[in-house]
Amino acid sequence: MFGIPNIHGVVEKASPKPVKSLRFLRFFMVGALAAVAAACGGNSDGSDDTRSVTVYTGRHYGIEPVFEAFTAATGIEVRFTAGSDPELRERLVAEGDNTPADLVMTADAANVELAAAAGLLASVDSAKLTNAIPEELRSKKNEWFALSRRLRVVMYSTERVTEPPTTYAELGDEKWSGKLCLRPSTHPYTQSLVASMILNLGSDTARAVVDSWVANKPLYINSDTDILKAIAAGDCDVALANSYYLARLLAEEPTTPVAISWPEQDGSGAHVNVSTAGVTAAASNPDEALELLEWLATEGQSTFSDANFEYPADTNVAPAEVLLSFGEFRADLAAVRELGRLNPDAVELLSRAGYE
Amino acid sequence: MVVVAGLVATPVAVIVMSIVDPTPQMWSDLWDTRLPGMITDTVTLLVTVVAGTVIVGTGLAWLVTAYEFPARRLIGWLLVTPLAVPGYVAGFVWLDTLSGPFGPRGARTIWLCAATMILTLYPYVYLFARASFRTQGSDARDAARTLGLGPVRTFFRVAFPLARPALAAGGALVTMEVLTDVGTVRLFNVSTVADGVLRVWFGTGSRDSAAELATTLVVTAVALVAIERGLRRGARYSTRATTRPMVALPLGLGGRAGVLAGTLGVLALAVGIPVVRLVAWSQEARRNGATATVAGGLWHHLSSTLVVATLATVTCIALGTTIALLVRRRGVAGRLISRVSSLGYAMPGPVVAVGAVITLAAFDRAGILPDGSVLVGSLVGLVFALTVRFLAVGLHGVESGLDQTPASTVASARMLGAGPVRIAWSVEIPAARTAILAATALLMIDLMKELPITLLLRPFGFDTLSVWVWQATSESLWTQAATPSLAMIAIGMVAVGSLLAALERGAEMTS
Repeated sequence: MFGIPNIHGVVEKASPKPVKSLRFLRFFMVGALAAVAAACGGNSDGSDDTRSVTVYTGRHYGIEPVFEAFTAATGIEVRFTAGSDPELRERLVAEGDNTPADLVMTADAANVELAAAAGLLASVDSAKLTNAIPEELRSKKNEWFALSRRLRVVMYSTERVTEPPTTYAELGDEKWSGKLCLRPSTHPYTQSLVASMILNLGSDTARAVVDSWVANKPLYINSDTDILKAIAAGDCDVALANSYYLARLLAEEPTTPVAISWPEQDGSGAHVNVSTAGVTAAASNPDEALELLEWLATEGQSTFSDANFEYPADTNVAPAEVLLSFGEFRADLAAVRELGRLNPDAVELLSRAGYE
Repeated sequence: MVVVAGLVATPVAVIVMSIVDPTPQMWSDLWDTRLPGMITDTVTLLVTVVAGTVIVGTGLAWLVTAYEFPARRLIGWLLVTPLAVPGYVAGFVWLDTLSGPFGPRGARTIWLCAATMILTLYPYVYLFARASFRTQGSDARDAARTLGLGPVRTFFRVAFPLARPALAAGGALVTMEVLTDVGTVRLFNVSTVADGVLRVWFGTGSRDSAAELATTLVVTAVALVAIERGLRRGARYSTRATTRPMVALPLGLGGRAGVLAGTLGVLALAVGIPVVRLVAWSQEARRNGATATVAGGLWHHLSSTLVVATLATVTCIALGTTIALLVRRRGVAGRLISRVSSLGYAMPGPVVAVGAVITLAAFDRAGILPDGSVLVGSLVGLVFALTVRFLAVGLHGVESGLDQTPASTVASARMLGAGPVRIAWSVEIPAARTAILAATALLMIDLMKELPITLLLRPFGFDTLSVWVWQATSESLWTQAATPSLAMIAIGMVAVGSLLAALERGAEMTS
């Protein structure tokens, strides 16, 4: 069906001479197959002498310095593979007890809840963890723990907007028609925000809010960074984005004319999502995994959060300097543990509302 | 050999088997919401891209074979180079570039998505069309001219119809690429069925529902290709053996300028502008110190890419050759095995990735390997999954090459007492070597660009260039994606060069 067409014409002559290039190909093939056979040792657990821990992480930016700091502090080697949360979860499910993963890290709460629901995580008993991480930011069965907070807030143009929205619903006001930028519904950030709205407002009101957003003909951009740049460029005036993207942008361009308007401060608080980690149920190095988890939740909090301008889960740890300029705020901590459960409802709501 | 084909088909079968237990709720939900839009978008995109690649590819091929102009041979080769640019790289470069003049809203449309895909996919049609035009020779064209047809009418009434089987082959390839693409469409906010598979899977967490949608996609892709084959059947397109080779006609100054402008314009859009922007971003990344990822620097990623691509290419060629040779002796059963082995090509990458994970994990649970080693996350596992996905390219390339060996040659060898293995080794494979070499080059290109399967199944310490690009683009950090993108294009150029060299040798054998 799609091979190389008949470039020889109708009548061909097969070459009678020995084909040197093909001889080389044969050796190459044999050699390659031998190499494959040698690699056939499969995926092993790493050397037995040094202590090591294997991590599957969906949060792949700025992660290596964190692991390096951990190894420097404890001598435990960290092997990790980065990928997308749902695919890593599929892999964990398929691997079952054979999985080499000792620790799972995710970039949001819904994905880690799905992992817990699938029985992939182990419940851990650690006073260090329960003291460091607030109750709302860890699973009820202590299967996962938040390591940092990431807030999805209203962003607005400081040049053109004098009275920015103070609630998520206000983004649906007619005055923002044609001036709203949103992330598509495929992204977990959007889904989680809607899930929290379903929890706080009920399905009907949440649907009405999303309908009003859609009625404003938003510009859907699949990148928070590009959303913020769109505000700066004048393509929209208000938008929803994660706080750390603005911090990153301001670090590069301190004069970016975009600011945060903390939503729902008189109500349930700004929508908060979390980067999380949990020990796997089939971990072969559970002690090392727990040690890494505890380190990330205590000494490693700043290293972990500051790398990406996120707020540490442990509220007693000061956030990065740059974040102080964003001011104080109240976050909707109560919703975090429900985000996973309500995710499918959020996805359906977004579909039915015609949100792209 | 049936075992091998079965093995390769298992991940596809795993996915397909979920259709046995359909979830009507998902279908009615989808139908109420996104499915009609997804179908419309998919069809629109498919028709536009196939039409565009056929027009651009055929037009360029005709210009380059039928007419003489400065640097004709060089441009003829250069026009193949867009194959070296991964679709998702062209995607983010063009999205960023077009956001300037069109604005972010205007840039994210299905038409610009289609245009980007046409620029990266036209070489498939171009290659087939060019080969076809060369073998057509001058006879038909000259006859048309003596009968008074101008150049344009000659093209549409003589050259184009004669090239139809080659165009259909190229079009089938483009169809597969469009139907299974998930990277480029996401960038432009286009929601195709392949994207829908990922939406359902990631959004609802239900792999079964996603698998059903994926199966529908596979069935459609296979049906389209079957229709294309059916339309070709029974048509006679041969030219006489005494054809003179195509003689390029001279052009006036205006004609030469026009052709040069057209061909160089396409090259600028398809390769020139992306490379220029990538180089600029790459410099910026170097200034910011972002020259490596968490896993390592350029050399680490480059060597990982080359090792994985080479191993998978060799496996696909070796397996493809074996299956093709045995299939020739088995008639209908053989053709069935050949088709089944090719199904992976009709599925989006992430779907094959998950199917492979499930299959390999099942083998692991059965304790195939000793010492507690596992297949998932091993190099063998990765090569297996890649073979499932791309065997079709190796298989069909080799098959078409073997098809060109006349039965008389094989019969003579058999008469002289050679056994089947000897015939295969000394007669059939050497005769098909052009096709085999060309298929090898195409496989290398496809494999070094591959992303979803590599991302999910790569062993520790194997981080390829495509993974680096993904890590950067998933956070919209275009500058950080530039260096690995350029490295991939460089590898692709080498592979394209080998492809062209193989085809040139094959073409020389005709005269």
